[in-house]
Amino acid sequence: MSSDAPDDSSATTDSFTLPLRPLIEKRDRPDTLPVEIAQINAQWGSFRDVNEDELQVKIQEEKDKEGIEDEDEEEKPAGEVDSTERLEQLYKRRAEITQFALQAQMETMFALDFVSLLLSKHVPRQAETSMSAFLKQAVPLGSLNSEIVSPPLKPESAAQDPKVVSRGWRLQSFDAAANKLLKSASRLETEVASETRYWSEVLAVKDKGWKVSRLPRERQALGVQYGFLEATPIFRDRGLASLRRADDGSLILDKGLVPSKSRRIRVRVKINDRVTGCSKSTRSTADGEESIETRILQARDTVYEEELFHELVREARIMGGQGVTTRQNLIRFAVSEEQEIMLDLADTDLESFSEDTDVIDSHEDDVLADAIAHSTRILLSYAHRQNLHRRTQPPPPLSQKRRHTPEYQLLRPILAYLQHRSHVEWLESFIKDMYGVLKSAGVDSDYSANLFSSVNPQRKNHSLPKVEALVQGFLVPLESTISGSLITPKSPFRVRIRTSLVSPPFGTNYDISMTMPQHPGIQPPARVGLRSEAAAIITHFLMLDVVSAVSSYRPPPGVDGHLMWQAAYPHHGELLTVSPTSGEHKKKMKVTLTRGEMTLDVSYARAADGTSKHSQTWKADPTVPQQPGLMKFVADVSKE
Amino acid sequence: MHELLLFASVPLHQHHELRQQLAGLTAMQPRHRLERRLIFKAYRKPGVITTRVGASQDVQGVDLQRLNKMLNGGMYYTQVVGPVLHENFAAAGVTRGEGDDPDAAMSGIHESQKDSLSHSTYDYESQSWKLEFRDIPEAGTRSAVTARLMASAGLPKGDIVEPMNAWGYGFVTEYVVEGDIFILNDIVIFLHRVLRYPSESSDPHAPRGQLPSFEQMKPLDKSGSYVLQAAITVQDGGNQETMRTASQHLFGLREQLRSAVRLEQADRLSLDTRAK
Repeated sequence: MSSDAPDDSSATTDSFTLPLRPLIEKRDRPDTLPVEIAQINAQWGSFRDVNEDELQVKIQEEKDKEGIEDEDEEEKPAGEVDSTERLEQLYKRRAEITQFALQAQMETMFALDFVSLLLSKHVPRQAETSMSAFLKQAVPLGSLNSEIVSPPLKPESAAQDPKVVSRGWRLQSFDAAANKLLKSASRLETEVASETRYWSEVLAVKDKGWKVSRLPRERQALGVQYGFLEATPIFRDRGLASLRRADDGSLILDKGLVPSKSRRIRVRVKINDRVTGCSKSTRSTADGEESIETRILQARDTVYEEELFHELVREARIMGGQGVTTRQNLIRFAVSEEQEIMLDLADTDLESFSEDTDVIDSHEDDVLADAIAHSTRILLSYAHRQNLHRRTQPPPPLSQKRRHTPEYQLLRPILAYLQHRSHVEWLESFIKDMYGVLKSAGVDSDYSANLFSSVNPQRKNHSLPKVEALVQGFLVPLESTISGSLITPKSPFRVRIRTSLVSPPFGTNYDISMTMPQHPGIQPPARVGLRSEAAAIITHFLMLDVVSAVSSYRPPPGVDGHLMWQAAYPHHGELLTVSPTSGEHKKKMKVTLTRGEMTLDVSYARAADGTSKHSQTWKADPTVPQQPGLMKFVADVSKE
Repeated sequence: MHELLLFASVPLHQHHELRQQLAGLTAMQPRHRLERRLIFKAYRKPGVITTRVGASQDVQGVDLQRLNKMLNGGMYYTQVVGPVLHENFAAAGVTRGEGDDPDAAMSGIHESQKDSLSHSTYDYESQSWKLEFRDIPEAGTRSAVTARLMASAGLPKGDIVEPMNAWGYGFVTEYVVEGDIFILNDIVIFLHRVLRYPSESSDPHAPRGQLPSFEQMKPLDKSGSYVLQAAITVQDGGNQETMRTASQHLFGLREQLRSAVRLEQADRLSLDTRAK
């Protein structure tokens, strides 16, 4: 009888106690020790005779007896019997069985005879049929009688014994039943407690706004949906985990076979084989006790990141022609000659100290890496929105052709942006240099830039939600325009850069347009792809512009003896003077324009050695002291 | 193209609940839809029309030939469908003219002139239309879905009666369908009901130029019950494989909705579009 069971019952049922155990009267029992001593004395003799040797002998005897029995048991199976012996044994056994059977039969016959003889007193006819012949001869019928005798009265103690025994048994069974009941009560109690905890946690999850539903395959289990409905089917189906109950009732998020590691996309920027930037982890993983909420969030993030990587790889494969390479778990592409971007799927806890040997060398490009990482995520969620949009449109008729899901635009907009930005930066600095030269030469001209006009947030598209309109700006070809004025009036120039990685023409193109009144037939080639070419074209046109500016120089009225310039070979930057009186060429001027400086050389046309008489160079460098302007110089050299 | 269909009748009290169930099933918000539907009847004798009818620019070979044959050979009713918006209906309480307006066409012009300042934003002249041809469902199919030949084609905007007359169709009547569309993969689920215009006494020979207020529209079924229609269009009706896939998809939907509604095949003759 367990003594702690009643305590349990009192502890667990506070309000209502039902006595399940039989009340046991505490009788002051007589000490049993004297009885036992008397028993030992009767069995083994006086304690005085007990000594160690005797006991040892007894123990040995006991052991021996056991040993013998063991040996007996062992002997039988040990003996290897051959076939004849076996046969003999078999016969012997059979004989034994028969003997037993015969004996049994005999005994039954005796019993039958006895009963028959007994009955023959009352029903002689019937009893006679079952009597053996021998009995009939030996004993006359009806010679045995029976009558009921009242048994002698049992002594008081003998009558008491069964009572006590049955009472004991009853008590014991009552107790066992009570124990069982109490045990199941406490089991139910804990079960109820853990069930309550489980449901309250499920409710807490539901109150947080997660979708809780039955699992489709396992109807009796609950699941929480944290995935993205518009994701690719394999990832969409992974967005459902069952909410299981631990023994203590706490919630377990069971994602099945999917490993519970949390992973995320890591973006690294590498310049000349030095890692100069790495995207930061969005969340520091709390170790140990995590709430179910954070576990769900982590599962959601992981499934999102894995889908993102899957889609990135899918897109990277079709971008092989644009310099994107993929490995098993790495996407890499070059933005410029030295800069390289790498994307991979890394475990959150391992972070940057992974087995990769790439140690972060510096953090100067962390912002870029972070920006890329965030952009991919934004673009994926944009793709999800597009999927929803597509899914809710009436579908095309069913046909055998399988519909191909196009790769999402994740890398392409980023790559296009980076490429475009690098081109724009180059062009801006180039134009700045050129205008710096012109400005230092005292030419009054300026330029203005309209960068990333397609991403302009001012452009409103009311049919789309704001977020989608914002992202869409990055998906259309990127365009920037730099326009400026030239020295010659009414000759604006404009350079448009267009980058597109989605629709042809792929890559970045410069579209330069200029109108030169003096050279109406000259048009820059359309769609220039290379920076050097674009630079050459712009320089050439600016040089032509300077040439026309010089050739349009007119001496101030009233001043005699001034020469006028005529563009002899404008494309080589050569001018000759035209004397208003004789019409002969006296002086020669050569305009040389490069990035950063402009030189005007003036020499006599007849000079055999071509040595310059006057020369002036302007540089964009602002530290160079102010020099006379272009027109001033032209006026100077125009004097005869 | 072929169309495979299953139908169910939805009593009014179940409509709201079913709408929510469908939204959950398809994981999308219902797309509300209002359509004007004009019924036209072919009136020329077969064989008179020799011109090719509609959508001839996208040559579809056998399918188109069959369609042509069907349009020219037999006599069919066809439907012209134009999507409208709730705002296109006149504002509540403001009733347009008298029901016994003798000249609906005139009134239409009249209304459209003062459209900009009137209570309604409906512009009949810019109403877009779509021709929807539906054949009588195929007979003797063992499959438990309604299958029928179908074709749709865009039509010019505005007054459609004239071009339709030119093609040999006379205007019969019109009604409005209102309901919600759900998309489940390939299946288009349309939970809708037919609304009738308030008065039938106006000129039945031309579509209305102006819409009455929405509250005046009366459901055809007085109890206001809805029809649930699940449809899959199949590009090539001759392909047994796709037809089977399509009906399997419909059966799958039927199973999913079993506890809510009973989707079943429609009575073939009730969908008879032949003009007798």
